[in-house]
Amino acid sequence: MRNVCVLGAGSTRYGKLDDSISDIAAQASADAIQGAGISPKDIEASYIANVFGVADKQVHLGPVLMSTLGIPDRPSLSIESACGSGSIAFREAYANVAGGFYDCVIATGVEKVTHTGTNWTTTYFAYCSDFFYEGQAGASFPGLFASMARAYIEEFKITEEDLAAVAVKNHENGAKNPKAHLRKGITVEDVMSSAVVASPLKLYDCCPFSDGASSVILCTEEFAKSHGKYVRVVGSGRGGSPAALQGRERLTTIPSTKIAAKQAYEMAGITPDKVDFAEVHDCFTIAEVVDTEDLGFFEKGTGARAAADGRTGLNSDIPVNPSGGLKSKGHPIGATGIGQVAEAYDQLTGRAGERSVRGAEVGLTHNFGATGASCAVHLFARP
Amino acid sequence: MTPKERMAECARRGRFLAASCSKCSRTNPCTARFCPSCGSPDSEPVEMEGTGRVATYTIITVPPAGFEEHVPYAFVVMALDGSDLRISGFMAGISAPADLPVGSPARIAGFDERGIILERT
Repeated sequence: MRNVCVLGAGSTRYGKLDDSISDIAAQASADAIQGAGISPKDIEASYIANVFGVADKQVHLGPVLMSTLGIPDRPSLSIESACGSGSIAFREAYANVAGGFYDCVIATGVEKVTHTGTNWTTTYFAYCSDFFYEGQAGASFPGLFASMARAYIEEFKITEEDLAAVAVKNHENGAKNPKAHLRKGITVEDVMSSAVVASPLKLYDCCPFSDGASSVILCTEEFAKSHGKYVRVVGSGRGGSPAALQGRERLTTIPSTKIAAKQAYEMAGITPDKVDFAEVHDCFTIAEVVDTEDLGFFEKGTGARAAADGRTGLNSDIPVNPSGGLKSKGHPIGATGIGQVAEAYDQLTGRAGERSVRGAEVGLTHNFGATGASCAVHLFARP
Repeated sequence: MTPKERMAECARRGRFLAASCSKCSRTNPCTARFCPSCGSPDSEPVEMEGTGRVATYTIITVPPAGFEEHVPYAFVVMALDGSDLRISGFMAGISAPADLPVGSPARIAGFDERGIILERT
């Protein structure tokens, strides 16, 4: 396999956006191309992550985007893996460059759902569950993660306040991110007094529904060296879990994360303690706690306490979600996994401004679909 | 009937339909077409008592479309008695965590447009 690099990255602001899904995808893609210092003509193929294009009257986004970028003859592949679509599209782009099919490709993720309203967005998202056993029985995504949260609270005797600490930390980071959806600091009391969505999770335990797009350019190291600043992809892993929670051996761990992380660490030849920051899938506060354990940063059962003790803050033991994460930066589901790569690129090329992790050499991204039924983990390093 | 239709038919009678692997004897839900343990396609249907204990649950107050009139309700994951299998489903009439401590006995009580219906016993 050939070494693969990320050469440029672009993102729209995440939040409630007025422009169409194809417009925001084009904006992020154009920013990535210009940031990379390349011509669109250098791009040989595209990988497009999106879940609910149908809600904004545009599926088969690839050719529409390629036409807008002036390269309508380049092939595109649309990828849907629920909330993990972005990282999984990134992985396919990575594999095609590593395998020698292409020297330079673009991976773009996009979502536009907020105009459908909370009721319909909740409904559409529930279609990402194992519908016969979960969505059909009235399970929402907050409800599925709330079920994991209750199991975790029972097993490890933590408090809802411990979970709230995750949201407080991510809002603190997101307030420093000009592209974040929710740019305001919150307190544990704010979380505890927010409306219950699916007990024990409250509104401020949940990430927002967001619109947005992110895009990155992937290429060989030889190509990257003759262009702008780049970072190396040093590890890539994929994993799966039983689609329904009921089929999992334990309700407090996500098997696909562990499988994907093991592959990525082995490929990079490093252990979790060598990671300088991690962008993880914190769709709900409980998810970040479980992620930080499954990724090997903390022992099982100690992640919530670690967050409450401040060990995951910016410039602490292991900075988790310096961007603000899904919780504060926002969660446009098709874009999220690629937005994490954009954050890793910004952090490792000195473009993260106020939220920079000091001296960072190695970054990890972790993004999954549904309750972790599908997952991808990537590791990045400065050249 | 598809495996899901057979699962639903059993749930209407308060029972759970499992599939016992002909090769390794592992018990799976009938919706598994190959044994997740050994990969065998061969199995025998086994009807189990639809009773168990609540493994975890949530009480939903912001529902998906179609569930507005049922709020608040619980989505419950139940551990089935006498096996390591779990089954999840809809449970009506739960409005506070005090109504349903983890470990509470429960049973399959039917199947309708809300999927598998569970109730406290």
